[in-house]
Amino acid sequence: MKRRNFIKLIGVLSLGGAAAALWRNLFSFWLPRLNDHVAHTMTAVIDLMFPGDGLPGAAELGIHHRILAMTDFYPLMSTGITWLDGWAVRQGAADFLALGEAGRRGAIDAAFASNDGDARKFVTTFRFFGGLTYYNEPVIKTAFSYTGPPQPDGFADFQDPPNDKRR
Amino acid sequence: MTSGADWDVVIVGAGAGGAAAAYGLCQRGISVLLLDAGPRFEPAVDYPLTGADWDTREFPEKSGSSGSYTFAPAQKLVGEEPLLASISKGLGPVVTTDTRWMEKYHHVRGIGGTTLHFTGESHRLHPDAMKMKSRFGVAADWPIDYAELEPYYLRAEELIGVAGPAAQGARWRSRGFPLPPHPLSYAARTLGRGAAALGLDWQANSRAALSLPWNGRVPCNYCGACNKGCPRGDKGSADVTFIAAALATGRCTVRPDSPVVRIEAGSEDRVAAVLVGRPDGSLERIPSPQLILACGAVETPRLLLASKGLGNESGEVGRNFMDTLEVAVGALHPDPQHGRRGLPDDAICWDFNAPDAIPGVIGGCRFYNASADYTLRGLAAFALRAIPGWGRAHAQSVRRLWGHSLHVGAIGERLPNRNSRIDLDPDRRDRFGTPLARIASWLDESDIARLRFMAAKSRELLAASGAKDIYESYSSWDWFGATHVFGTCRMGADPATSVVNADARSHRWRNLWITDASVFPSSGGGEAPSLTIHALSLRTAGRIGKDR
Repeated sequence: MKRRNFIKLIGVLSLGGAAAALWRNLFSFWLPRLNDHVAHTMTAVIDLMFPGDGLPGAAELGIHHRILAMTDFYPLMSTGITWLDGWAVRQGAADFLALGEAGRRGAIDAAFASNDGDARKFVTTFRFFGGLTYYNEPVIKTAFSYTGPPQPDGFADFQDPPNDKRR
Repeated sequence: MTSGADWDVVIVGAGAGGAAAAYGLCQRGISVLLLDAGPRFEPAVDYPLTGADWDTREFPEKSGSSGSYTFAPAQKLVGEEPLLASISKGLGPVVTTDTRWMEKYHHVRGIGGTTLHFTGESHRLHPDAMKMKSRFGVAADWPIDYAELEPYYLRAEELIGVAGPAAQGARWRSRGFPLPPHPLSYAARTLGRGAAALGLDWQANSRAALSLPWNGRVPCNYCGACNKGCPRGDKGSADVTFIAAALATGRCTVRPDSPVVRIEAGSEDRVAAVLVGRPDGSLERIPSPQLILACGAVETPRLLLASKGLGNESGEVGRNFMDTLEVAVGALHPDPQHGRRGLPDDAICWDFNAPDAIPGVIGGCRFYNASADYTLRGLAAFALRAIPGWGRAHAQSVRRLWGHSLHVGAIGERLPNRNSRIDLDPDRRDRFGTPLARIASWLDESDIARLRFMAAKSRELLAASGAKDIYESYSSWDWFGATHVFGTCRMGADPATSVVNADARSHRWRNLWITDASVFPSSGGGEAPSLTIHALSLRTAGRIGKDR
């Protein structure tokens, strides 16, 4: 396998061409074809997955808009949210959104651990796309060292210990 | 040379082999038409690497820059291979089927070929790796030896401006590298301490990247992104070295976007012409007084087989296919490394490179600092692959551990077998009606044993360097994603078992030559092949026209 693309991360692995769909839709506007419940639940899920912890969270950055613009994934979103709602009902809540934060976390954890392939695929897929979008946000990248483009400066400090201030 | 054609020699394929052959011929006063199916790339435009989205971009795709091919049914995965199963802590199991994942044959069609996105390691073959049959009873011997190639290695290194160390063990040199070695990066030195603890040698890799200004080209600025394309021209890809030098002679004509779809046989055991596809689907006939094929180990056999089996008198065209045998392991170090900084693959361990260096297995391998080229250059890649989980704890770990990753890679000898081959797909054709190449890759037990050693030693090296928290591991056992491909038009002395002779000329067709890695009788113990392709091509270029 080709070393540089060995795990090209973006796009390969089990998600196949789904990454391309993300980038096709990355800058399109939200297409309001999902019902409000699915849209609100997706927003909550993405924000829980990428809360920021001192940096802006996914909801604040509008990551959910980009995820919700991924029309190719509407069936998966619907299936996944139906599963999360069902889990919440079994805990005595009306649906996922009716759970408190701890309950919502429990639902997502349960989806990751589930034997239900659709539930697992739902959380795995949106962890991937949510994270991909979130950690490519300029405001997030600038909070980390060495995230700038490689050219035109290169890395004159390549022999030295890392410098936390270097962007 | 004289002929009724517009060029003395037509070369098909402007990558490592075709470019070097063109240069060698032009230097001798011979005119060349250099054809490639792919486009011309403009580094400053196509891969400037200055944009904020740099980490989501790979080497660019342009119209025609990737060839089409298919895969034969994949090999079944047998048994449990905990060291070899490809897995990422962050993303989970990579291959979930019970067969190898036939992902991709990674290549570039275009002026410069796959060297445009290669890392730029510049390796000579281990001398013993050219004598696999007579010394070790496997594969086949090369019909030439290291001493025969050595002057051509020197010549290629000189033109490229290879930077390397004073010595490389068994790879003796009649003259030093043109440029001094690159200093090791911080991450490479961390791994070097691990290597020392294990008693392993760990030295500067020889690299086709300038450590000092050379022939009007600027030196490397250690951006770490060789595989995305080098916008500065310090990486010694074929476009800025051999092709530029060939063009400077005034005797080379380069034609991109010119796919050769067939070779036309002539009389008296000579080929007459190539047929080049035009955008409108029609074909242009180009007479070829001398014809060199340099399309790589997948496309060269395809072209021969699609040309009514021309050159396949032995039945060996497409046979003996060898792909990349590879392992990569990533782990987190307690201290930040930011291994993205510096030249990818800047340090190497050759200790197990000789064909008999791995205990109990024939065929060598090498280990290297893969920290910069396993694509953990970007924050998103790191967050998703290296750190499992989600939520606040995940965010905290990403912040705490960003830059702590190290990768060790290993590449090993891939022995030929009868199941690994290139043939023509019976069902799929390109737009000119030519059947696509079909790739069959099959690992034998010796390949798997070699992979196990490579995986175990990679882990040892990481652990000895302090990087004990392994978060991903990949191997060719369950994942085909080759970039180094060999065999398929083997060179040899016997016309019954090889396709070309020691000069890389067809045993039958007197004006047909092949200058790419398809002629390799063996793959070597993990060496990057481009320099050997260059050397073979320069040698062949010196023979064309001397015996017509």
